[in-house]
Amino acid sequence: MSRQQSINSNQTGASTITAQSPLNRSLRTTGEEIWKRSERINAELFTLTYGAIVSQLCTDYGRNFVQINEELFQMGYNIGVRLIEDFLARTALPRCSDLQETSEVISKCAFKIFLNISPKVINWSNNKDAFSLLIEDNPLSDFVELPMDAMDQLWYSNVLCGVLKGALEMVQLDCDISFVSDILRGDQQTELRIKLNKILKDEIPIGED
Amino acid sequence: MDAMISPYATGDNATASSVMSEQHQFQLFEESLRKVNILVFQMLINEIIPLSMGLEKKLERANNDELSDKLSKMEVTEGEESLSTVVPTYNTKDIIPSNELIHELSELKDEDKYNKVIDRVRNIGYQVGNKLSELLIFTNNPNLQFKEMDLLLIMKFICRDVWKQLYGKQIDNLKTNHRGTFYLIDYDYQPIREFCIEENALKKELKLVEPFLEFPVGIIKGVLASLGYSKEQVICLATFIDRPNNDIPDTTFAKGISFHVQITTQNNQ
Repeated sequence: MSRQQSINSNQTGASTITAQSPLNRSLRTTGEEIWKRSERINAELFTLTYGAIVSQLCTDYGRNFVQINEELFQMGYNIGVRLIEDFLARTALPRCSDLQETSEVISKCAFKIFLNISPKVINWSNNKDAFSLLIEDNPLSDFVELPMDAMDQLWYSNVLCGVLKGALEMVQLDCDISFVSDILRGDQQTELRIKLNKILKDEIPIGED
Repeated sequence: MDAMISPYATGDNATASSVMSEQHQFQLFEESLRKVNILVFQMLINEIIPLSMGLEKKLERANNDELSDKLSKMEVTEGEESLSTVVPTYNTKDIIPSNELIHELSELKDEDKYNKVIDRVRNIGYQVGNKLSELLIFTNNPNLQFKEMDLLLIMKFICRDVWKQLYGKQIDNLKTNHRGTFYLIDYDYQPIREFCIEENALKKELKLVEPFLEFPVGIIKGVLASLGYSKEQVICLATFIDRPNNDIPDTTFAKGISFHVQITTQNNQ
């Protein structure tokens, strides 16, 4: 399924077909190889731990789901700013030339290495500054069902947005990241939107030339 | 009827070889389960501590705001309809980094507040432990027989299966007086393995790490609760202990952890 998608996205950028396809293949293999080498843990344990965290937040915030979304985002952000270091160390990938390449790296390497899924990249904006990740088999929300009151407001997997926000910010990409839809809310699919605002300038730490 | 027995039947009179294949099958089953990278799990459980601290701060602020809100309740909050359509943008400048929160927690003077944070961490562990035993028991693990399970067997289950599942290793040492007191000793407790603290670490530094021992405290209590020993019956405390010999590389955390579990049973010994 996702292979087909990557072909489609190549065809839209007609001039880049030759330049992109070998890269895509190598990103896929990079992702798969690193995943195979990584130490792993039962996904169900991961799911239920995340569930316990969300449920604790529900208790503390008295089911104020807007606040819970924010809390999950912030937790994710704090994870993302550190996770990116590990990601760069493992993959040793060079800087991406454009957002399209970034999207492929996120889907085929990052998601693959850490969660063993490769979300499809879809819905590119016309000026190629925004895209969506179609997340299937989200390991955070396996077997999860939301109570009625949470369905309209809670973005259960919002931690993912935070992680992406933090990680991308560390590589100078200032993005807006949010869920558009979630199967848990009764939507057809789980779609996460990433919009690039601007590329931050490299900042040299104080005291270094 | 007898002729119906298939080679796959497992009855009470299971032979040694079928036990073997059961083990093998269990192993295959374990391997076939869906997996995620251990790193994301570790980061998630370690993030519980700064999260709990951040929550405490925000709840306190909210309480204070509520008081002032009552005085000037003029501000109109966003309607519910717009909430689901408006794309939320969070200002990352406001996010307090995890390391700052951990420092703040270790410097908390207010014991009451500190305990609230720790309780939150424990409670998350408790919920995980509670469900984790279900997860482990219903996987047809041939190592487990809960028919005549006494307390010692349950503790062994925690040391071996629960710990293995969570931290990829077993507890190194289990001590008991056979009267409800247990010491579970982990000389290489995985979540803090990468924390670089020297052997002669100051109290202050150890204080920073202490909250990271509370998640498994909750886990232990949760597992015990799911197997019939309620929260109230169990006391569990985690402390640092010295390692017996220094055969462990300097790069890892310099201290072992001892989980002291005390269980009071009303009727049986």
